[in-house]
Amino acid sequence: MRSRPVLFTLAILGYAIMIVPILFVILSSFTAGKTLSFPPQGFSLQWFEKALAYEPFIESLGSSLLLAIVTTIIALGLGIPVALAIARSSLRGKSTIQSFFVSPLIVPELVIGLALYQQLMITLRLDSFIALLLGHVIILLPYAVRVTGATLALSDLSIEDAARGLGATPFYTFRTVTLPLMRPGIISAALLSFITSFNNVPLSLLLQSREFRTFPVTMLDYVQQSYDPMIAAMSTLIMAGTVVIAIIAERTVGFAKIFGGINK
Amino acid sequence: MSTATNTTTSAATGTAAAEFVGVSQVYGSATAVDNIDLQIEPGKLTTLLGPSGCGKTTSLRMLAGYLQPTSGQIFINGIDSTTLPPEKRNLGMVFQSYALFPHMTVADNVGYGLKLRKVAAKELQQRVAESLDLVGLGHLASRKPKALSGGQQQRVALARAIAIRPSLLLLDEPLSNLDARLRIQMREEIRRIQGETGLTVVLVTHDQDEALEMSDRMVVMRAGRIMQTGAPAEVFTAPANRFVADFLGYENFLTFTGSGLVTVRPEHLTVTPAAASGTPLNAHISVGASSGFVLPATVTSVAYRGTDEIVTVNLAESFGVDAAGAAATTTLKVSMHRGSHDAHLAPLRPGDSVDVSANAGDIVTLPTE
Repeated sequence: MRSRPVLFTLAILGYAIMIVPILFVILSSFTAGKTLSFPPQGFSLQWFEKALAYEPFIESLGSSLLLAIVTTIIALGLGIPVALAIARSSLRGKSTIQSFFVSPLIVPELVIGLALYQQLMITLRLDSFIALLLGHVIILLPYAVRVTGATLALSDLSIEDAARGLGATPFYTFRTVTLPLMRPGIISAALLSFITSFNNVPLSLLLQSREFRTFPVTMLDYVQQSYDPMIAAMSTLIMAGTVVIAIIAERTVGFAKIFGGINK
Repeated sequence: MSTATNTTTSAATGTAAAEFVGVSQVYGSATAVDNIDLQIEPGKLTTLLGPSGCGKTTSLRMLAGYLQPTSGQIFINGIDSTTLPPEKRNLGMVFQSYALFPHMTVADNVGYGLKLRKVAAKELQQRVAESLDLVGLGHLASRKPKALSGGQQQRVALARAIAIRPSLLLLDEPLSNLDARLRIQMREEIRRIQGETGLTVVLVTHDQDEALEMSDRMVVMRAGRIMQTGAPAEVFTAPANRFVADFLGYENFLTFTGSGLVTVRPEHLTVTPAAASGTPLNAHISVGASSGFVLPATVTSVAYRGTDEIVTVNLAESFGVDAAGAAATTTLKVSMHRGSHDAHLAPLRPGDSVDVSANAGDIVTLPTE
């Protein structure tokens, strides 16, 4: 670090650009004043109380969590077998299959949203939870396939051969060797999927209904109408939740392992 | 006689630990293994030796059950096992990459096959300990593979394969990922383990020294075919054809008028200054391969290699050497051991006129191709 002063300064600057605005939000959420401003006027927890009592927030938070959890489970349930098929079988057209499952990354989410809105909600009259579920699964699949596939591609094929040679059936081999080897990939895919689904705005904007609203959209709506510190308090709460999840992830698997699978 | 095989082509007799009968492996238009017949003798260490792409690993993988032969049959202990999946063959395989289960401890790795055989907990522990002791790693049972050195991982892989009491132990280039010193040490180690357990071992390698040192029997392969089978000393002193000779370090191939193709190892040639030989040049030629030879030549290069020097010489033309024989060369390589007693000799230099000689006993006659 000391030998590379330019790099060091750039790194500090990078972190500052990322973190400082977030610090402003956190600090202003503890204000005793009535407006969202900096520096905060006095200290109070009143906006946290208000945020927790504001029904649309709590309701949409529940909806978003439910949506993120269910879509993550479905995306992994579909993505893991696809990743296995791509990594382990000698299918012809393997690369075509791979491109197919990664293609949703290229299509703008608004376009996917619009297509689903027309087909599912207008033509088929499905409710918005089902439509959102489908939409999210579509955009999460590439992550599920790529990230779990990355751990498989890195692992030594002969490890599975070794298990077979020692007397394990293909299924026992999968359960005791392949699945444990994929574990870091599965956990990172699950975290990525969960975060992507939870934060998604474009699909929700198109596919939500009065009965089912997601959290980010509710926040956007709120900011458009009133600009008070309650939104900062809500953001702070969400961030605290994220930090807790991150700490658990770091303690159980380790970030290096979770996110290491993505680059390679 | 384009390929020389000493194996007999017979149906499973029950005396072989494993037998290949007319086994081929064809990928599209490429033939990896071409109709081989091979018997693996019980209680012996057999090596499959050859350059990469000769079909040795493919043969081993077919024996282990990871590959189905395109045609032919594979017998294990006299039973036709051609279509059996690997888990039903009871063979212990050690992979080039060791293929240890990274998420399990050393003990769990070694116990994996025993658990599958429903060995009771107490006996399982005992057998895991036994296997680890055999490879000298009893004290590392609770470690994860990642915490071990390459050599230690190799031993764990061996212990894991031996623990299931396999009918054959298969080793796929087991030493190629180790450094030179450790490799030599593991050769002895594997021989010791084989001796103590009495296991039938099939070892795949591309290293002729490894094969010569370790094998009871070696099988030299090339392009999917078996070139020669025999005890190391047999194969080394009497290579069956030019390929085997070349692979085992015979670098000099000569064709004399009236004798076929002959070969001599660089260590078995001697170079003496031309003047010192004192015999008229023409006298040397008629002797041919059956009684040794002395040939006039010119030194083209001298390469120092520590224990010896490689002297490259160019044979003078028209001295009975049939350069037209396509398989022969007019350049010879001579390995000269320069001990301290040779210090008084003038060093050879490129351009020096010399005589190259060999004794009759060191000249191997090969079938002409």
